[in-house]
Amino acid sequence: MIVLSVESSCDETSVAVARDGKEILSNVVLSQISLHQAFGGVVPEIASREHVKGVTVVFEQAIQEAGIKPQDIDLVAVTQGPGLIGSLLVGINAAKAFAFAHGIPITGVHHIAGHIYANQIEDDMLFPLVALVVSGGHTELILMRDHYRFEKLGETQDDAVGEAYDKVARVLGLGYPGGPIIDKLAVEGTTRYPMPHIKTAGKYDFSYSGLKSHVINTVNTMKMKKETVDPKDMAASFQEAAVRHLIEQSKNAIEDHQAKMFIIAGGVAANKALRKAVFDTFKAVKVSVPPFKYCTDNAAMMAIAAHYQYQTKQRTDDMALNGASRLILS
Amino acid sequence: MKASSKRLIIDTATAWLYVGLFDGDTCILEHYEKGQNNHSVTLMPTIERLFKEAGWTIDAIDAFVVGIGPGSYTGVRIGVVVAKMFAWTTGKPLFKVSSLALIASGTSRDGLVMPVMDARRGNAFMALYEKRGNRLSLVQEERHGALAPFKDEHPDASPLEQAKPDLGLLLDSGLLVAVDSIHHLAPVYLRKTEAERNLDDGR
Ligand SMILES: [Zn+2]
Repeated sequence: MIVLSVESSCDETSVAVARDGKEILSNVVLSQISLHQAFGGVVPEIASREHVKGVTVVFEQAIQEAGIKPQDIDLVAVTQGPGLIGSLLVGINAAKAFAFAHGIPITGVHHIAGHIYANQIEDDMLFPLVALVVSGGHTELILMRDHYRFEKLGETQDDAVGEAYDKVARVLGLGYPGGPIIDKLAVEGTTRYPMPHIKTAGKYDFSYSGLKSHVINTVNTMKMKKETVDPKDMAASFQEAAVRHLIEQSKNAIEDHQAKMFIIAGGVAANKALRKAVFDTFKAVKVSVPPFKYCTDNAAMMAIAAHYQYQTKQRTDDMALNGASRLILS
Repeated sequence: MKASSKRLIIDTATAWLYVGLFDGDTCILEHYEKGQNNHSVTLMPTIERLFKEAGWTIDAIDAFVVGIGPGSYTGVRIGVVVAKMFAWTTGKPLFKVSSLALIASGTSRDGLVMPVMDARRGNAFMALYEKRGNRLSLVQEERHGALAPFKDEHPDASPLEQAKPDLGLLLDSGLLVAVDSIHHLAPVYLRKTEAERNLDDGR
């Protein structure tokens, strides 16, 4: 089965073609990140405008690179949500028009399912599986007992981990996006600044607002006292605490559900400290991290998720398919 | 465009969804209805239904026509994206037309007509056209700004906020513009985004 997939939930316009839920024939990603950097974050209206400009070019490249014709495509998949609604609607209407023009069935896919299935590209999933989903908008633990069966075990009670990275980077004057910058800087620093131990009500839940506020308050207080803040050491101290919290809650989920496999998914899955920590900590289960290029938003992961969604549910959508800024993973 | 060509025309720039199937300047089927800010849901099913009712397939279409704004940012993007995709993937020509010209084309009488779209806070998207018989011509370029002074400047023009487009009149008037590069087609927003305006102002 050949799937053409479209992803436009945030600031990446992407189209991919994949065969049989495994082989990526093409994965074209048009990133807008440089446009949004001047604003310190993604501006939704600018993102939507850029998607309109780029979408047919990206389709063309993806189809050419894959070496296929539209008639070869069995299923068109598109990210339905969650995400920025204006951005989602561009990809969804492009996908619907393409599917209609060629008489191909269409299916909407959950963005987080895509991030999880990015792991299926190089490894094969083993069940039960625990997935840690970490990005600028998500921090959650999901249990899968089989393909395309998702049970949410817990999630952040406040900020997403990626959001905390961005805020900490901002207070340290390091720029946007904060994740990769802090990750890189932390390697050169020591964990000499004390960080609070994060407590949550549920053992699979997360909380990042306390840690974030602690760093912001510490930095501001030091600045007031005219003490110099070493960004390297602050980055290292923050990152150590942030990653430890992810590992502790993941450990609870893995042990309680006797998981055979543990995977990380989402933009923060590219974080080197997190990747090292999961391999160092979880020796009894198979650990999978997505290839770096499939950590950030891309359509290849959506094609893989769509393949398994279709195999499991045998369901497609019609031309009334719409986007949803919030959407439950099911 | 040859007179007998089959066209699909789409406009989603306002609350009113317009989809028409034309053979030359004869309307085969059309849909013109006020939506609830949900063109994303209704546009494609409407196109699907009209094709089915007309017994046409998309391969029979000789050219696509799309209203490119100004208007609702989210709304106009839906129509532009669908039209771009159709034209690119079928290899057929695409023509663009001002969404204000589409409104103006629906005027029932000769004289100056001022198509107007509300843009909130006393502002509007507006232009000035003149209709004489089967010709509609642009008198004042489309713009975004305060409506009241524009009305005062042109007391003899009839404001028109909403009207069903008349493709025949637009064709006769040469107001459809061939799109050279389908990939590069973008809506006419007439305004930068708020974030860009703030950045320009140094805020
Ligand atoms: Zn994502």
